[in-house]
Amino acid sequence: MRLVLRQSLIIAAKDTRVFLKDWFGLGFALLFPLMFVLGFSLALRNIGPGDERLTITVATQEEEGVSHQIIGALAEESIVDLTVMEYGAAVRAVEDGDIGGFVAFPADFTSDLQGGLPTKLEVVAQIGDPETEAAILGFANAVAVASSNTRTAVQAIVQLAGEEALPQDMAAFGRDSDLLRFETEQIGPVEAFNAGDFTVPGYLTMFVFFAAALAAEAITRERANHTMERLMANGTRRESVVVGKYLGSVYRGAMQLAVLWGVGLVAFRIDLGFSPATVIMVSVLMVLTSAAFGVMLAGLVRTTASASSAAVLASLVLAPVGGCWWPLFVTPEWMQTLARITPHGWANSAFNKLMLFGAGGGDVVLEMAALAAFGVGFLVIAFARFRLSPHAS
Amino acid sequence: MVTNSPSTHLAHEDSGFLTARGLSRSFDGALVVDDVSFSIGRQEIFGLLGPNGAGKTTTIRMLSTVLAPDAGDVTIGGHSVLREADEVRKIIGVCPQELALYEELSARDNLVFFGRMAGLGRREAKDAAAENLGFVGLLDRASDAVRKFSGGMKRRVNIAVALMSRPQLLFLDEPTVGVDPQSRNHIFETILRLRDEGMTLLYTTHYMEEADRLCDNIGVMDHGRLIALDTPVGLKSAIGDPDEVTLEQVFLNLTGRSLRD
Repeated sequence: MRLVLRQSLIIAAKDTRVFLKDWFGLGFALLFPLMFVLGFSLALRNIGPGDERLTITVATQEEEGVSHQIIGALAEESIVDLTVMEYGAAVRAVEDGDIGGFVAFPADFTSDLQGGLPTKLEVVAQIGDPETEAAILGFANAVAVASSNTRTAVQAIVQLAGEEALPQDMAAFGRDSDLLRFETEQIGPVEAFNAGDFTVPGYLTMFVFFAAALAAEAITRERANHTMERLMANGTRRESVVVGKYLGSVYRGAMQLAVLWGVGLVAFRIDLGFSPATVIMVSVLMVLTSAAFGVMLAGLVRTTASASSAAVLASLVLAPVGGCWWPLFVTPEWMQTLARITPHGWANSAFNKLMLFGAGGGDVVLEMAALAAFGVGFLVIAFARFRLSPHAS
Repeated sequence: MVTNSPSTHLAHEDSGFLTARGLSRSFDGALVVDDVSFSIGRQEIFGLLGPNGAGKTTTIRMLSTVLAPDAGDVTIGGHSVLREADEVRKIIGVCPQELALYEELSARDNLVFFGRMAGLGRREAKDAAAENLGFVGLLDRASDAVRKFSGGMKRRVNIAVALMSRPQLLFLDEPTVGVDPQSRNHIFETILRLRDEGMTLLYTTHYMEEADRLCDNIGVMDHGRLIALDTPVGLKSAIGDPDEVTLEQVFLNLTGRSLRD
């Protein structure tokens, strides 16, 4: 055991030294991801820069009455940006595509309301503009519920007073009786969205895995030029080589973490959320899992060319599937489900929760357990399939 | 035809430093090494000759514990490669045909790494690296990356690495392939000096003149079989005047074809 540990550490140190002397490898592992982060952060910098308030268009077919009271109250409360249009003009504006839709009060709105009869709000919306339609429907529903509650309350008062119908001065209930009221609450300032909060962990995940997977190519090259057989004849254990190669890859991954998180914090002003330690733990788990994948891949393939092809293919397929190129939560549900088959998906899910949604360490236990399970699985296969000789033995 | 019988030679040298008995090995059903037996005495340079594909490298891989034979056994210094591989590995050094080096690292770093892997301490490995680089004439280039070296210099580093474990028996598999004449002469001198310092060497080549110049005993392999085993003079004497006959002619006589066919 002690011999294996000693030999493993010597191999890992040698691999690190080789890595530090390989300018292309250094550039690929450390600079390339930064270029991607920079490019995509710039491209996405205008996404969600502020709180855009939706404009709601309303129209009433009444000359006067409760609808005017409601519109006046809404405009006064500044709950939404309200545009009031004449009914016919509003219909034409929708037809012309100038507005997505509007809410309309019918001509008999007040009389029906006062007479205790069923009334309605009309929603006119463009086909193919579901977002505006949904917003207007929500607005109309809120108005209807508020109106209905008010009428129920007034009816109860009237019945208690022995009246048979609503009094004529009900027309004033909106403004003066304070029975129709909307309340809004704003918590904290609306902050601009920082694209770096998902591009940095996304590309870190991608390139940590990519660099580790490409280590399989170096391992197969060493096997092909009989370096490993030479080590074997020198008394080196097979387990020492597996662990040494694994540790070497972990060292490289740790360097990537230090550089990418460091630059992310300083240059891209990323926010690690409420639990930076958990963010680091997740990224370390990703490094461990990726390193295991690289050693496993070297055990599964025979030639340097196949190792290289498999590493590139796996990295470029798993990165988008696992949410490295875009946040998983903006993808369809089936893609979010598909991401679960990749270590990238679990890592990015954890990063998004921690860095974008304010989650704590306890909220990403499942993601961390899944990453660890991937890593253990890869290592088991690596130990089973790794060989030192390029030939059958 | 040469009449020397490998099995006769084996019977006489059974107490050799290396003794191989009935080694056989197949790959995918093809018999690559077929019942090979020979022995090598201490401080001897033994040449294993034959064309490419004759089975020389596979034989060396079995002798050096990296490939298990399908049949037969080998003892080196009294230890079986099958049952006491760890003991055997302590006394052998291997210089493979390929340049088994890390080209990004310096010559010194390569030697130190392999020395450390062979069990040397850090200081010990550095000292041994300097000594062995001096031995192959590359001490002044110790700090240079191996990728900057010529083919011949890389071959010399390849040999120096094999010396880091201070072996009693050194396997040299085609150490002069693709080497310029200057480096080749340097390698020959190195081999002879190692022998003079007490090392036993097994040397494979398909250059007959090299074997003639260096080896105390020669085994000729073809199609996986050891078809002749004797001293260079003994092999040549079997078909004529040893001062006139070349080993190339011996091979032609043995197999009916040229070594380079």
